[in-house]
Amino acid sequence: MSDSPSIQPPRLLIRFLRWFCHPELIEDVEGDLLELFEERIQRNPSKAKLLFFRDVIQLIRPGMLKNFSKHSLNNSGMIKNYFKVAFRNAMKQRSYTLLNLFGLIIGVTSSILILLWVDSEFQMDKSHKKGDRTYEVWRNMHQSQGEVITTASVPQPLEKVLEEEYPEIESVALLSWEMESLFAKGEQTSLETGCYASPEFLDIFDFKILKGNNENVLDDLSGMMISDRIAEKYFGENWQYENNIVGQSFRLDDQNDFKITGVFESPKSNSSYEFDWLIPAERLIQRNAWIPNWGNGSFGLFITLKDVKDEEKVASRMEQEINNHTNHVADERLILQKFQDTYLYSDFEGGVISGGRIDYVRIMLIVAIFILLIACINFMNLVTAGSNKRSKEVGLRKVMGARKWGISIQFFVESYLLTFLAVCVSIGLVFLLLPLFNELIDKSLVLDFTQLKTPFFFLGIILVTGFLSGIYPAILLPAFKIINSLKGTVKHPKGTTFFRKGLVVFQFAISILLIIGTAVIYQQMNFVLNKDLGLNQENIVLMEMEGDLRGKYEVYKEELLKIPGIDIITAASGNPVNYGRTTGSAIWEGKSPSDIAEINVINVSDDFIETLGMKMASGRFFSEEIKSDSSNYVINEVAAKIMGFEDPIGKSLSIWGMKGRIIGVVKNFHMKNLHQPIAPLVVRHDPRDANLSMIKINGDMKAAIKSIEKVNTELNPSYPFRFQFMDDSYAESYKSEQIVSNLINVFALISIFISCLGLFGLSAFSANQRSKEIGVRKVHGAGRLNIVFLLSKDFAKLIIIAFMLASPFAWYFIQQWLEGFQFRTEMSFLNFVIAGLVTLVIGGVTVSFKSYQVATVNPVESLKSE
Amino acid sequence: MGKYSIGEFEEIVMLTIAILYDNAYGITIKEEIEKRMDRKVSVGAMRTALKRLENKGFLKSNFGEATAVRGGKRKRYFRITESGKQALDQVMETRKQLWEAIPSISFDFKFI
Repeated sequence: MSDSPSIQPPRLLIRFLRWFCHPELIEDVEGDLLELFEERIQRNPSKAKLLFFRDVIQLIRPGMLKNFSKHSLNNSGMIKNYFKVAFRNAMKQRSYTLLNLFGLIIGVTSSILILLWVDSEFQMDKSHKKGDRTYEVWRNMHQSQGEVITTASVPQPLEKVLEEEYPEIESVALLSWEMESLFAKGEQTSLETGCYASPEFLDIFDFKILKGNNENVLDDLSGMMISDRIAEKYFGENWQYENNIVGQSFRLDDQNDFKITGVFESPKSNSSYEFDWLIPAERLIQRNAWIPNWGNGSFGLFITLKDVKDEEKVASRMEQEINNHTNHVADERLILQKFQDTYLYSDFEGGVISGGRIDYVRIMLIVAIFILLIACINFMNLVTAGSNKRSKEVGLRKVMGARKWGISIQFFVESYLLTFLAVCVSIGLVFLLLPLFNELIDKSLVLDFTQLKTPFFFLGIILVTGFLSGIYPAILLPAFKIINSLKGTVKHPKGTTFFRKGLVVFQFAISILLIIGTAVIYQQMNFVLNKDLGLNQENIVLMEMEGDLRGKYEVYKEELLKIPGIDIITAASGNPVNYGRTTGSAIWEGKSPSDIAEINVINVSDDFIETLGMKMASGRFFSEEIKSDSSNYVINEVAAKIMGFEDPIGKSLSIWGMKGRIIGVVKNFHMKNLHQPIAPLVVRHDPRDANLSMIKINGDMKAAIKSIEKVNTELNPSYPFRFQFMDDSYAESYKSEQIVSNLINVFALISIFISCLGLFGLSAFSANQRSKEIGVRKVHGAGRLNIVFLLSKDFAKLIIIAFMLASPFAWYFIQQWLEGFQFRTEMSFLNFVIAGLVTLVIGGVTVSFKSYQVATVNPVESLKSE
Repeated sequence: MGKYSIGEFEEIVMLTIAILYDNAYGITIKEEIEKRMDRKVSVGAMRTALKRLENKGFLKSNFGEATAVRGGKRKRYFRITESGKQALDQVMETRKQLWEAIPSISFDFKFI
């Protein structure tokens, strides 16, 4: 048999076999295979190799394989040992472990909370199936002075054009602004907010319809849809089981009856659109003759494309659609924005998106990362600082044959264990804190474990945090020389102390950054809320004249003026500090055809400037005695400038085709929040269209409001009494700023707290390390204060460096933020100094707390050992 | 069964080893089974069975002399151990008990 060397078994296969086969078995298995092979060659040479191959492949089975991990026998034992040592080590230094865990828990909890908020912001309006091919149409009004005003309200006739002439568009929907209506059914009444919408609205968006025919719920012009909230209110908790809800009707605003055609589920918290009723848009169009006009914006408009690829094509074709229909009397261009982006990106500058809520979301995302980073740095610092105590252990492990990566793994196991623990505790804490947090941010966030991403999110946090906090010790500690670590005289490589100090500097730089940010945001909010707006909005009650009060201003005024404490009252067509009713149709003396300007028009009754305390720049305001004042105009200084008048008094002006003369110029006052510049304004004297009364109250506010309520219920019994203070309504327009300012406040505090925890730990370590030195110093006569100073000095240096590093960044970012405001506070150097001092003091107190403890120890105690 | 549990294939392997007595190594076992039982035995399946039985203590093995035939690799000869014999005995015993417990009517196929 041996004389058949012509065919050899495949060498590669044999090598493969040798590679995977258990060493104890290989000799005899290989022998068997070879014997078989030779035998087969005798019988059937052609198949021998194939059979050999088959046999080798069939040998790949559990019993045959060698153990591929190198230290097979010791592996699980070592891992057990890692856990054991980690636990013992944690228990041995309980206070440091607690400090460490505490910092980590606070950090993780904070960042989970922030990330929940961030996530909820990103989830806004993302749940609609067609959302990725739905767009909102915006209108850019180009002014002749170069400014571009962007608004979501577009002319209603556009709907038809888009529907009929654009084959790429699947459907077009109109949605009005949120409006309030008085609902009445029998005795029960309530004010409810809702929208007018075209039937396609429910095709494009997936608002769940609970009752009613899905197909044509908004087709019936005498019909309306209500939310399950209203249904519950009027039909009880078991409304769903009542069959006859569809078909019943509500009387709206004391005028028309609407039949219920369907019930939808109230938009959830992940919808930026909130409404409790929907009425066919056609109703609103029929009622308002000004709507079907290319010159007036009236509805929000949404389109769904058949194919997203057509976006550019549709957008470019649509751009001039208004101008084509209005013969270019103004320059109004249409742009498209992805619907899913509208919530986060809603600020426009020069007709293009410039940001919006996304700015705040980004800020908070950065804050979350910072806080997590600070907590991880704490961990790193405390572990490396304590590494002296563990150097013997590391040395011994190495002597026993541990490899560097083995020791790295050990430290990773420790950091992951602690991180895991911290995340578990944090999840519990998040559950506890969520209600409070929700109050702070005005949302209803929940930790939803039914969503697949939640466990992944926590897994991610554990992975990242564990890695970040473990990486430094895991690299540093195994790098010590064995002899040094066994002798216990570990000299940290020169870089490490530097690195550790660097980390502390970094932590405090972030904290200082946040503190400066908090201070400036607070200052700006203060500035915004207390700025002289050009009118006096204090102690003024806003009261909508609705229902029976509508058009009865004179009677109402008379009644109100009888109330003690009310001396003056006025009315206007809207809230003067949050006004937006504009026209592009103003024609003034000497206007050239190329002048295009959107001008605000406000209709007011008597005593407007007296009640609100505005000042006249020139001319006079309307007077009750002068009959012709109904066709006269007062303009503000910005309008005078746009119209180019040196002396506007007596110049002719026409608004909405009504000709009149300018009789006065009112000094500028703010009509929007301070993000926006002051817009041009024309004031008309038209009490019939002034339905928001403004009542100035002197003296006892509560009593006066009680009396107003009495008058209201008498004159307007069907409407519930409600009012708002003018300054509150103004403050409300800074809601997102307030929320973010609150958030940053809280988290700046947390970040400095965590940093101090770390600082405390570090100073404790360094104090312990230097206990002998301190003992010697004391023996030689150093006082306690001297020693506290000695120990605190180093850390003070670090904080000062941190301050110097943080300041330029803070200055830059804050400048960026402030630039979002047209009117802003000056960034003063004082903010920086205060932030620096606060940090220094807090840090100093933290450090000297421990230093003092060490300084008071009797030197005998620290010197007697050895 | 208890501590002497072995599977059907394992039982066959052990019995074959006993038959071959002092010539029981990989190839002969495989071929003997194939010859006697008229079934294909893959090297892998047999190897796993041998290893498992050895781990259980039912077999012991020792290397023979190196020969030129197998590329110089030694053969590993297998022998049944004391407990291996007990295991085989027990298998047979339990089978016997089972057989004895069958009432004769069970195998009376006349009426079916």
